[in-house]
Amino acid sequence: MSSLVPAMRHVRGFDVARPLSIGMLVFMMLPLVFLPLASIFIFGTSNGLDKFWAALTAPEAIFALKLSMATSFWATVFNVIFGLFAAYVLSRYNFLGRNALIVTISLPTAIPTAVAGFALLLLWGPYGTLGRLLAPHGFQIMFTAGAIILANIFVTFPLAFGVIKPVFDTMSHSLEEASATIGATRWQTFWHVTLPSLRGAIVSGALLTFARAVGEFGSTILVSGNLAGRTQTAPLYIFAKFNEGQIEAANAIAIVLALFSFLIFSVLFFARDWLDVD
Amino acid sequence: MLTEFKMAKAKESLIPRLDEPASNAPPSAAAASVVGISKRFGKASVLENISFDVGEGEVLVLLGASGSGKTTILRIIAGLEMPYTGKVILHGKDVTELPARERGVGVIFQSYALFPKMTVEKNIGYGLRIRKRKRKEIKETVNELLSLVQLEEHRKKYPSQLSGGQQQRVAIARTLAYKPEVLLFDEPFGALDTQTRVHLRREIRALLKKVNVPSIFITHDQEEALELGDRVAVINVGHIEQIGTPFEIYNHPATEYVATFLGAANVLDAVVRQDFIEVGSAHIPAPALDKAKFKPGDCVKIVFRPEDVSLHRGDFVRSTHPRLANALIEEIAFVGAYERVRLRVEAGPEECKTDETSFLLTTETPDRKPSKSIIATRPKPEASATRLYVGERVVVALTSFTVLPPQGSKGAN
Repeated sequence: MSSLVPAMRHVRGFDVARPLSIGMLVFMMLPLVFLPLASIFIFGTSNGLDKFWAALTAPEAIFALKLSMATSFWATVFNVIFGLFAAYVLSRYNFLGRNALIVTISLPTAIPTAVAGFALLLLWGPYGTLGRLLAPHGFQIMFTAGAIILANIFVTFPLAFGVIKPVFDTMSHSLEEASATIGATRWQTFWHVTLPSLRGAIVSGALLTFARAVGEFGSTILVSGNLAGRTQTAPLYIFAKFNEGQIEAANAIAIVLALFSFLIFSVLFFARDWLDVD
Repeated sequence: MLTEFKMAKAKESLIPRLDEPASNAPPSAAAASVVGISKRFGKASVLENISFDVGEGEVLVLLGASGSGKTTILRIIAGLEMPYTGKVILHGKDVTELPARERGVGVIFQSYALFPKMTVEKNIGYGLRIRKRKRKEIKETVNELLSLVQLEEHRKKYPSQLSGGQQQRVAIARTLAYKPEVLLFDEPFGALDTQTRVHLRREIRALLKKVNVPSIFITHDQEEALELGDRVAVINVGHIEQIGTPFEIYNHPATEYVATFLGAANVLDAVVRQDFIEVGSAHIPAPALDKAKFKPGDCVKIVFRPEDVSLHRGDFVRSTHPRLANALIEEIAFVGAYERVRLRVEAGPEECKTDETSFLLTTETPDRKPSKSIIATRPKPEASATRLYVGERVVVALTSFTVLPPQGSKGAN
């Protein structure tokens, strides 16, 4: 039978398996992904666009969006620089405990975000191991924007590193040797030769980190204190408004966040060629 | 820089190089020298007491099998590897302790190592940009080099858009931009197909003669070494077997390794007598033999190329070439440009036998004497004029041969 199938296909010039399997795939995704996403849009705009606009431009909503963007931005900046550095060290040098470090850096992927937030609280919180010593000096990072950045850094820690490291690993060592024999210092070599080859990885790593940080909920809700207008990020705002029964307000921000992720992943997908251009 | 290129061009020789024996004597002033280099990786010794000079504008080829240590020599000169002992001297300056970036050498890597995110002009200008030269100067030098390597129309392209040969020319131009003390080529034709390879090495040889920068090539391809090098150093497991012009090392190999590594060679045991050399039952006159190096009774080896063998039917009457032996034709193969004949000849004198196989095969010969196979080649005209057949007995004479010094003593030819 199996040998008959390709033969039939050639004779008839039409393969039933193709439309069937594509249709099946889309059908399976409907209740799982498409419909939930669609309902945000349907629900959010059902009372008219002006209501949607009003919900979106409410001061607290604007603040939550801005706070999310700002905290995610700084977490991204830190993690890209850190990821670059860590990838450089871990792919260039071989030392005792190297693999242990790689595993540790990648660990936050697997840790529940609530645990991450809780861990930060136990360290920096008013009764935490470090926070207890710092609190008398008026230093309190928990329940501020700084805490949100810390939580974002923690949960997105391995993302940029994970994208940059493989590129480092496959990069030909002779490029750097060539640069050295031409007369470049280590720094010049890194700046002119190594870094340009990493451009694509850095941009994708940054986008991934940023997208993940903007959507972070579990750790943020623990460390931020969830104070509206002060430490409330966009996902927390959605949660809070939903709890208060203001579905429309929650919905407006949900639409923004959904569109935002859609945009980032479209860039990642369609700009792949540009990101890897050589 | 321009004037340098032009002056050098006038020096180009029109005579084919391989036919001028030993005229390329190394220039007196060494542009680059390696003195007593040795290198170890852990306990394994990779290089032992390597010394050589490269003259101004000279091309030296380091020829050796893979694993012979030739790449390590190159990396030590470039400063990418530290020698265990010894010195690297560039234009009179000891650079052994200097890092790669302060040596001013140009390395053309096997993969060319062009910077993928830079255009051709950016690649070529890189050495000057990091030296903070003026924009105008960089532009002029880059233009000059682009026309030298004939890549003007490709200046805005990226390395991935170029062919292998073009990439290689960019790599050379990139090093020439900062006027390197010496150019080092690491198996530069390894990644190319045979045809491009032959074409490119001619092109590069012409280019090097034009710019007159001393160059060291690394290769395992003997044909490439003979064609590219003003001189060739044959490297074998970490030491230099022989340095000489292509003519010298091909026609007067100093060791058996050199003889056999550079193309096909027949090696027979022999013993030195008063005025001749005894091989099997033959007495080959050798009046020119250096009496200081060869004493009567010494066991030596006689080396000759397949094309140095001449075959005669019946009685050997002509005495222009020394007779080596009577031989039995074992095999005749047609290999295009010439005919290859495998013959069995009497093996060397009992007292000097080194090759065990020659005695195992004794029974095969009609005379039941120790014997050995040799290879002879005959050019087409000769092969068709006098046809030979397997099983026929012929007289073997030598038109040219080299006597290798006794075992254990080191010596050049």
